[in-house]
Amino acid sequence: MSPTPEHQHPVTVEERLFSLVLALIATQIGLTKSEILSTVQGYRQRFQIGGDNASLERQFERDKDDIRELGIPLETIESPDDPGSNHHLRYRIPKGLYDLPADITFSPDEIMLLKLAATVWREGSLSAESRRALTKLNSLGIDSTDPIVGYAPFLRARESSFEPLSKAMDRGQVVAFLYLKPGESAPRRRVVAPLAVVLHEGRWHLYGTDQDAAAPRTFLLSRIVGPVVARPGGGARRADDGQGERALAELDALWQAQTASIAVEAGSDAAVRLGKRGAPGVDADTVDLHYTDLNILADELAGYGPEVLVRSPAALREAVLTRLRQVRDSHTIPTEADR
Amino acid sequence: MTAKPAAFGASDKLTFLLSLVPYLMDHDRVSVAAVAEHFGVTPERVRDAVNLIAMSGVPGETRQYLHGDLFDIQWDEFETNDTIVLTHLVAIDDSPRFSAREAAALIAGLQYLSALPENADKEAIASLMAKLSRSSTGAPSQLAVSRTDADVAISVIQGAVRAGTQVEFDYLSARGSAEHRRVDPVRIESVDNDWYLRGWCHLRGAMRTFRLDRMSALTSTLVPADTHDDDAQQPGALFVSSADDLTVTIELPASALGLLADYGPEPTSSAAEGDLTRASLRVSHFHGLKRFVTGLAGVVTVVEPGAARQTVADWAASGVARYDAESDRSAPDTARP
Repeated sequence: MSPTPEHQHPVTVEERLFSLVLALIATQIGLTKSEILSTVQGYRQRFQIGGDNASLERQFERDKDDIRELGIPLETIESPDDPGSNHHLRYRIPKGLYDLPADITFSPDEIMLLKLAATVWREGSLSAESRRALTKLNSLGIDSTDPIVGYAPFLRARESSFEPLSKAMDRGQVVAFLYLKPGESAPRRRVVAPLAVVLHEGRWHLYGTDQDAAAPRTFLLSRIVGPVVARPGGGARRADDGQGERALAELDALWQAQTASIAVEAGSDAAVRLGKRGAPGVDADTVDLHYTDLNILADELAGYGPEVLVRSPAALREAVLTRLRQVRDSHTIPTEADR
Repeated sequence: MTAKPAAFGASDKLTFLLSLVPYLMDHDRVSVAAVAEHFGVTPERVRDAVNLIAMSGVPGETRQYLHGDLFDIQWDEFETNDTIVLTHLVAIDDSPRFSAREAAALIAGLQYLSALPENADKEAIASLMAKLSRSSTGAPSQLAVSRTDADVAISVIQGAVRAGTQVEFDYLSARGSAEHRRVDPVRIESVDNDWYLRGWCHLRGAMRTFRLDRMSALTSTLVPADTHDDDAQQPGALFVSSADDLTVTIELPASALGLLADYGPEPTSSAAEGDLTRASLRVSHFHGLKRFVTGLAGVVTVVEPGAARQTVADWAASGVARYDAESDRSAPDTARP
């Protein structure tokens, strides 16, 4: 039995996309848009010869974007006779760029590690990306070794700016957002070409070229207030390789260069937790802590209340004291006499 | 409260179709059940995909999707024995490359996992990341995770999980009291840079989550641990709600609500009345709250009950007092900022 291709059921989205990919891989010279709309399964059923196909064309534009988002190299070729004409643009998917390189293989141990790596993202679009990557990995038919038991590691990019920033980075778009610089009271609008998004010391940072300063800057995602707006069209160059490593190296260098000396109350939560993170200081009860951002560390140290006393630097001491006074004053219940 | 992974949409289905073809090509005869297990999907999803593949193809020279332009399978085997035998291929015969974002998600995941003692082999991880880069269309997005020095506790606990033995340690509660705990370890959980032990606490007689950085004097014992069913909570969920919980109302900018996600805040007013919004939290006592609120000075304010406000105010005031005591020799602290 062989079912006829002229099936009566409505063509599903995945059938239309699958048919489009197959048609564009099969063609050497490429297909024009009108050839695609009039012949490919899922479009041809709705194509009107000599009629208005505007909505079908918009459908094709969206499908192209969706296919490219999956890492499928959909190319356009200009006609040598008619350069610059949209009408004669041809579309194709070069098989050599579609196929996984032939020399790429993964060992069962590597498959096991990659499966665990994919489970690390548990929320948002990166968990969907990981899932699709695993599906592609499974197509190789390699069985994984038994997973390491007893771990449930998760990365959670909770900041709402994470998704729009990483999308803009992929598309080479410049973004604008309001940034509340630690230690300042009012946010300022920043325009940035994103180069990397990195997790350092438990905090997500954006590394990018500040368009006003025309220089690289690092921003804390948790300090971005309000929406991230991507400038349409893009224009920014896609980041070169190694930007993520560069951003981490800069943050590491900053972290190494700055040290705070903290006295901790013996036996307290601060003594246990900060003691693990830092190095023993000059006195028995002090801990030396490296840090990247003074105000962020001041927030954390204020939370320990009387369990810590900042010895140095003076600016950190002042920042913690200011916070403690602010919390004390905003939580002190007014007595009748004050009213 | 938090975003769930996106549903299995058209992009996932297309990826599955494109991945299934080369797999079937490499397996002359394979049961639907085996494919479902390998890809971690339901047998129904495999059957749907095979049905679609077998009816798909390219327009062909006639542009009519004739028989020779389509994939084909042995329909009898499929319909009678639930077995897939691919007999004709069209256009594709290899696995697709990863997208830049897919490769980036896996690379960042690998960087994160390199903190685990099992994955200390940096070169193996680096070579795997290089392979992923070469397997993707376009350079992987620049998403990077810094290497953290794994807490030595991870190795001790992991050894105990494998050996099926109990661990013992001193643990500071949020109230500030130290207690000796004996725990049947179930697994190590982590969220970003915070690491936790999930296990059965013999002191409480219940499943509990412990922060690794609050443990001291951790030792692995030779006492066999029992196995326990876990009610699979959120990773890192330290807070166990109970009937005795206290409700606290706080005020904060609406944009800062995300900072409190661990506490499951319930907004009690809309943000329409200006930038500030109110939310209620359930806590078992005010000791965790005072640390949390004081660490967010100028952002979160406790509104009620008065006892909670007082606890916070006292905590901050006693912090201030330490500095005052030190600077008593100089001018007393009178001015308020």
